[in-house]
Amino acid sequence: MNEVCFKNLTKDQCWSLKTYEASGGYSVWRKILKGELTPEHIIDELKASGLRGRGGAGFPTGLKWSFMPRHSDGQKYVVCNSDEGEPGTCKDRDILRFNPHAVIEGMAIGGFVMNASVGYNYIRGEFMEPFKRFEGALKEAYEAGLLGQNINNSAINFDLYTHLGAGAYICGEETALLESIEGKKGQPRFKPPFPANVGLFGKPTTINNTESFASVPEIISRGGQWFADIGVENSGGCKLFSVSGHVKSPANFEVPMGIAFKDLLEMAGGIRDGAKLKAVIPGGSSTPVLTADVAMAMTMDYDGIERAGSMLGAGSVIIMDESTCMVEVLTRLAHFYYDESCGQCTPCREGTGWLYRVLKRITDGNGREGDIELLLGVQDKIMGNTICALGDAAAMPVESFLRCFREEFEYYIEHGKSMVKG
Amino acid sequence: MIEIEINGNVVKAKAGEMLIQVTDREGISVPRFCYHKKLSVVASCRMCLVDVEGAPKPQPACSTPVNEGMKVHTQNDKAKASQKAVMEFLLINHPLDCPICDQGGECELQDVAVEYGSDISRFSESKRIVPDGDIGALIQADMTRCIHCTRCVRFGLEIAGMMEMGGTGRGEHLKIEPFLKEGIQSELSGNMIDVCPVGALTSKPFRYELRSWQMHSMPNIARHDLVGSNLFVQTYKGKVKRVVSADNDLINETWISDRDRFSYEGLTHKNRLLEPQIKVQGQWQQVSWKVALDYAVKGLNSHVLKHQKVNQLGGLASSTATMEEFYLLKKILTEVGCDNIDHRLNVKNLDNVITLDSNIKLGALEKIDYALIVGANIRLEQPMINHRLRKATKKGADIDELNVMAFDFNHPLDTKNITAPNKIAPTLAGVLKSIMISNTQELPDYLLAVEVGEVANNIAAKLLNSRSSVIILGEHIINNEDASTIANLITQIAQNTNSKTLNLSITANTMSANWVGFVPQNSGMNVNTMLASDMRGFILLDIYPQYDFHDLETAVKAFTKDDTFVISLNSFKDDIVAGYSNVILPIASVYETSGTQLNINNDMQSYTAAVKAPDEVKPAWKVLKVMADLLALPSFHYADSAQVLAEIFHQPQTKHTHDENVNLTSKHHGISIIWQNSPYSIDAVLRHSNALQKTKIGQMNSAYMNQASAETLGLSADDKYLGVPVVITNTVADDCVFINANQAVNTQGQT
Ligand SMILES: Cc1cc2nc3c(=O)[nH]c(=O)nc-3n(C[C@H](O)[C@H](O)[C@H](O)COP(=O)(O)O)c2cc1C
Ligand code: SF4
Ligand code: SF4
Ligand code: FES
Repeated sequence: MNEVCFKNLTKDQCWSLKTYEASGGYSVWRKILKGELTPEHIIDELKASGLRGRGGAGFPTGLKWSFMPRHSDGQKYVVCNSDEGEPGTCKDRDILRFNPHAVIEGMAIGGFVMNASVGYNYIRGEFMEPFKRFEGALKEAYEAGLLGQNINNSAINFDLYTHLGAGAYICGEETALLESIEGKKGQPRFKPPFPANVGLFGKPTTINNTESFASVPEIISRGGQWFADIGVENSGGCKLFSVSGHVKSPANFEVPMGIAFKDLLEMAGGIRDGAKLKAVIPGGSSTPVLTADVAMAMTMDYDGIERAGSMLGAGSVIIMDESTCMVEVLTRLAHFYYDESCGQCTPCREGTGWLYRVLKRITDGNGREGDIELLLGVQDKIMGNTICALGDAAAMPVESFLRCFREEFEYYIEHGKSMVKG
Repeated sequence: MIEIEINGNVVKAKAGEMLIQVTDREGISVPRFCYHKKLSVVASCRMCLVDVEGAPKPQPACSTPVNEGMKVHTQNDKAKASQKAVMEFLLINHPLDCPICDQGGECELQDVAVEYGSDISRFSESKRIVPDGDIGALIQADMTRCIHCTRCVRFGLEIAGMMEMGGTGRGEHLKIEPFLKEGIQSELSGNMIDVCPVGALTSKPFRYELRSWQMHSMPNIARHDLVGSNLFVQTYKGKVKRVVSADNDLINETWISDRDRFSYEGLTHKNRLLEPQIKVQGQWQQVSWKVALDYAVKGLNSHVLKHQKVNQLGGLASSTATMEEFYLLKKILTEVGCDNIDHRLNVKNLDNVITLDSNIKLGALEKIDYALIVGANIRLEQPMINHRLRKATKKGADIDELNVMAFDFNHPLDTKNITAPNKIAPTLAGVLKSIMISNTQELPDYLLAVEVGEVANNIAAKLLNSRSSVIILGEHIINNEDASTIANLITQIAQNTNSKTLNLSITANTMSANWVGFVPQNSGMNVNTMLASDMRGFILLDIYPQYDFHDLETAVKAFTKDDTFVISLNSFKDDIVAGYSNVILPIASVYETSGTQLNINNDMQSYTAAVKAPDEVKPAWKVLKVMADLLALPSFHYADSAQVLAEIFHQPQTKHTHDENVNLTSKHHGISIIWQNSPYSIDAVLRHSNALQKTKIGQMNSAYMNQASAETLGLSADDKYLGVPVVITNTVADDCVFINANQAVNTQGQT
């Protein structure tokens, strides 16, 4: 536990440059500055490590870095996605608070590998404390001569800037994030072209999640195979899981991939007040919900969660006990997507509001026969038809909640009140 | 070229082009709302989703590049399901009250809904209502109908060059609205009406008049600038009800200026002149055409012809006439033996005129990499030409200006060189000198003493380094003391740098006047000489002296003399015209006559009448023909204006020679006045178009000068100068006053 991003968690002033360097921090970066590491080597190690993007989609990081046209002329960028807005997720916040230098070093390494001399870290608008921590670390790194132009008299340049968001979930979507850095309204771009070709300010850009970047220094330092061996097949290394909801000790846990769900639940102190587990959303609000039995039999890795019928996502495990009214939960989630849709594409703009209104009507006691079919129909019409994945994210929970807990919805519609709460 | 398969048929395509371009070319219908062929792709409405084999999700045809062997289905179950889904979403918040919507019958949403929508809406929540503000005199907003396609936003950003519409809020609260309180002010704003697929943006003057299917749509040509934009005139029961743009990539692409779109409103103004009238013993009488024409011909005979006084007869026409009208008036005059012919009404000194070729086409204009603008507020004076320049800047072209005032451009300028009128010629001489020195050419004498300043060197360097440049000369130079020198310098600079030139010192149909040679013949008098001479008769075609002459008083005096017989052909009533005329003949205005326009591309564009002129009003070409018959002139046997045009084609084209002298001795003294009719006051029909007059551009009515000039003239900010409110601003060069006067001003200033 706590081997990579949270390695120094229990140390005094764990976010300081001193603590970071004392535990081997910036050793990879210093090797690079001395010319001892090549981009090819780093990409090979990353590929061997099995690190997959921690922002939600799980795309292999080494492969992503290899897509950048590193030899092309002109400016290139690396961008770190610290917008962390997915309900249930709070791991990037803690990485920024407790290990900001790992993010800086990871981004610098990325900059070197992809020949990008400028990086941006886009931090969620509400993250004032993490923002200050990160800015502080950045200052330390500059003062230590680890960033800037011709760093340590090498030919390597890397400048890193922080960009504070303004409170829109959609700006976590990578292309909306780029628009936002450019000073425009945060709305996703259609793809192709992909950011690796046309990214920030029209230049080749690679975007990775905070945890992805923060994992890189330790992986290169200790070897890809070492990282891969921590986890299981197809899910290399360890991962931060944010466990929240009806548990005794909600927290972030950095644990090996493939850990049994029930062990993770145990680490969070189990269900609070001795109640029984009812449902789990394993990867953040955009991933399908699972029933207790299915969850209890599941392992926490990409394939394990997929086999159980959901997705690992950003590793945001939302625990619900038997007192939970699933109709109300879904209504709350639907409101979130309705509120956060950027509104540019028709199915999401119109569909999220439709879903929410129908659910709201049901929880207001005005459910009608046919509402369930209506909800299923609407989510199906959003699914796959939008520019970005927010549309799918809004649709997916609806399908899974109705599949797993249909009787609660039927009850609410028929009786005008919650089956659980009465 | 690659091959792809659409719905089982193999079609050819260019690698990398978007699927929708292929389907459009092949005539395969794919529904769309946000896509517009002249705007950037946003792929946001999702209406164009189609099934591409191998892709897990349906793909938007507007943003999916084609590649070899791609297999596409636009109509299979998967594609149809997506299209129907999107349609349903679009309709849930759309008011389904098409019968009371102004777009009904020409609504893209309605059309697509008929094909893809389902009859029963499953949406039973309450619908979104968006309150509307007043967004200006031309466009009516009904934003509850908006489907957020952002075409209007992109139009503003990409074509009009000012982001006047934008999306605020997010999700369902995304609202398309003007950011500014002033609403929409662009000179191209009406195109938003055309691009809006639904009834969210409609024409305010046209509002609730009619349904599109009730109207006839007739192709026609715009007549207010040098472009001759193609458009459709939509009519109902013989009245023009609306004007919309027509596609012509060589001319106006798919856009038209607001001036061209809304001028038709003037046609039904109560000031229209509807009947012929004659002045008998100081009293106006409305009479029949026969009586009026007899009176006119008798007057001509008794005042001029009978006494062998044809050298005291003059014919003048404004730049709005058709090519056929210029030709027929000239033909009448020359056949009775009169050589006093002119259209250059606003030029003070006809020994000092601009002679400059236009040798670049509109399409080429957007490919230039450098332009120098001399004396033009091009965005407002020639909006569609400016549009091409703006496109060039988007591809990286540099533009410099040499203007007496800093105007609002909608594209970046490299350098704004605000230059006093008397410094323009010396600056251009410096440019020429700098170029010739770079080219190691021998300098002509007149350049020897010329100083080459930084501005001149800069411009010279850019012209020399450019692959394709253009020098544009505008209206503000017409009455510059150095007008002909400026034009000649430009010609020489262009020759020495392989630049093209564009003469925008003329407008409307002046190109036609020049084509038929509507200028003094043999040793005939020009307009200024006529006005200063003892004349016995005039034929005046569509002239309103207070707007057309640089010197109203002299003109009116010349026309008013006791023994001068004046025949006026006009479309609108005008007190000054009534004051001096003996006969006033009501003639057709725009869209009421057939005719021909010659544009800056040298395209000869003929049009037919879209409506019959009202009441007794007749097309001027017919009036002139009948007048010729009554004068017993032979060879005026035209059945229609096309026969006139055919005859014009058989005329030898008069080639003008002119002196190429450059004279740099300063003739300027005191403060120069550059008097411009405001963009929406340049001709009579525009001055009578209500909605246009209400816009910010229509209201332009200021005499701009800097503090020093104001002091010299003893003026302060509350004063009027030549009847125009004074605005003191440091954006004006020294020693000049730049005036934009609108229809509210009745007298053009005199110096
Ligand atoms: C609506 C939406 C919100 C997202 N929010 C985040 C976020 O807050 N943080 C993040 O890292 N990725 C987020 N993503 C995923 C990013 O688009 C992107 O895939 C990710 O940053 C890539 O980094 P990775 O490869 O390291 O995972 C979001 C995606 C969507 C569609
Ligand atoms: S799916 Fe939703 S959030 Fe994503 S681009 Fe479309 S409207 Fe915006
Ligand atoms: S007003 Fe019309 S053009 Fe503009 S976004 Fe709405 S529907 Fe599209
Ligand atoms: S036309 Fe393709 S998404 Fe709108």
